[in-house]
Amino acid sequence: MNGRLAPLKDIVAIVGVGETDYAKDYRGSGGQAVEKGVARYDSYTLASRALKRALDDAGLTKSDIDGLCTANLSGERASELWGLNPRWSGSGDAAQCIIEATMAINAGLCTTVALVYGNAQRSMDTAYGGARVTGGAITSYFYYAPWGMTSQGALYALFFQRHKLLYGTTEEQLGAIAVAFRKHAGLNPNAVMQKPLTITEYLNAPYIAEPLRLYDYCLINDGGVALIVRRADMARDLRQRPIMVSGFGWSEENVDATQLRPRLKSFYHGAHHEVAAQVYPMAGVTPNDVDVFATYDSFSVHLLASLEGFGFCKEGEGGAFVQGGRIELGGELPCNTSGGMLSESYMQSWNHQPELVRQLRGGLGSRQVAGAEVAQYVHDVAGKCKSLIYTKGA
Amino acid sequence: MATARPVRAMDPYAEQFWAFTQARELRLQQCADCRKFRWPPGPTCDRCLSDNFDWRRIRGTGKVLSWTTFHRGYFPEYPPPHTVVVLELDEGPLFVSVPVEISPRELREGMTLALRWTDGQDRLGEYNLPVFGPMNG
Ligand SMILES: [Zn+2]
Repeated sequence: MNGRLAPLKDIVAIVGVGETDYAKDYRGSGGQAVEKGVARYDSYTLASRALKRALDDAGLTKSDIDGLCTANLSGERASELWGLNPRWSGSGDAAQCIIEATMAINAGLCTTVALVYGNAQRSMDTAYGGARVTGGAITSYFYYAPWGMTSQGALYALFFQRHKLLYGTTEEQLGAIAVAFRKHAGLNPNAVMQKPLTITEYLNAPYIAEPLRLYDYCLINDGGVALIVRRADMARDLRQRPIMVSGFGWSEENVDATQLRPRLKSFYHGAHHEVAAQVYPMAGVTPNDVDVFATYDSFSVHLLASLEGFGFCKEGEGGAFVQGGRIELGGELPCNTSGGMLSESYMQSWNHQPELVRQLRGGLGSRQVAGAEVAQYVHDVAGKCKSLIYTKGA
Repeated sequence: MATARPVRAMDPYAEQFWAFTQARELRLQQCADCRKFRWPPGPTCDRCLSDNFDWRRIRGTGKVLSWTTFHRGYFPEYPPPHTVVVLELDEGPLFVSVPVEISPRELREGMTLALRWTDGQDRLGEYNLPVFGPMNG
């Protein structure tokens, strides 16, 4: 397996990133948060803006694009809107799109792929719990409605409650994650939630699905993200230093998923171990080499799962690991340095990629991880796990 | 009138599962070839891909794995606080349900709970909802 992935190391680079103005767009003209359901944007407006910014960042134009991945958008409508006739197209989460774009470029189907996501979820008042949830491909999101069970948050509450019961993890320990990400967001002018959060404020906030509190939940905001992925030998001499896609892995723990077995019996570590066995050897690094880390964080709990599953600490020790500033900027393993989906922007895996790219480019000021050479992203949505390792390359 | 509850997800297999509850029978499919119990109901055994199965009445006891209490209302039929529990049934499958005759504070990891029934209805019809309470209840 690892031998087969190795030839794909460093064959593509991220050459451009673009994001919308999360913080500015979240506030109305009066400086207050715009109410949910008050439509100001649609997803295509946000995606188009992000695409333009990513091309400008790369110093490329749309005539350079020959492949297109779209997320939360119709590929046809998006292509039409942007005047593109791609030679290859795909869709999915950010990690999936980057992995598949790498394979398409490697196969010679295209050379330069725009990956574009737009989500007007606040304007559209998208529901993630209750009677309006249809679940998409994830049956457990709606199947237990007759018993009053709903929402991804409650499923992660069950996960954390199990972690508490097995390992004695405390709610105060979990709180360190939301506090750390908020601290990072305070250094990010584009983060929606910049107001400092103390552990006392965290613990005084109401439970939503106990034992998870308000600040364990991601925010709901409008935004768009675009990435330009290009064949590495064509990535030099552009406007930005190319950031290499050096490793990836993919594994889905779906057996007995609806009855919540992998969620509650293994914390999805089966998938984590499979992905770790691909991504680290492919990139030629170990967890010890990772300078900056980001995890999918619709809930704070995700970080405990990925730290334990990828071997940054032992199983059951995630609660202790996240204490004492270890996951903060300046700590041993800075995590979700933009503020993540809890505090920067809920872009469903997409906002983590520009942040890791910027960290490796350098020059982020007070938010910069000094000397960052290796960055890792872990994606885990209900056991659908992927990971990416980015490096500065040669 | 039976108690209104959020609408059930329905397919031919779920339809059969809920039909049994009208007689207060909790039946899960068991593979007729390799004997694996499955839940939620569906066409195929995930272990051996057989589509031969029997609807087996199960013992109706299981051990507590986890639980959560909603402090925010998601369904008008379940005003907060509302607690949901996940059990590991004796036959193997995990089962999401509602704890009854016990307060959330009294729930313990590994505690055995036993089947009870409560009424329910949605736009698809009336049924009985399997819930779980203390053994000595
Ligand atoms: Zn079977």
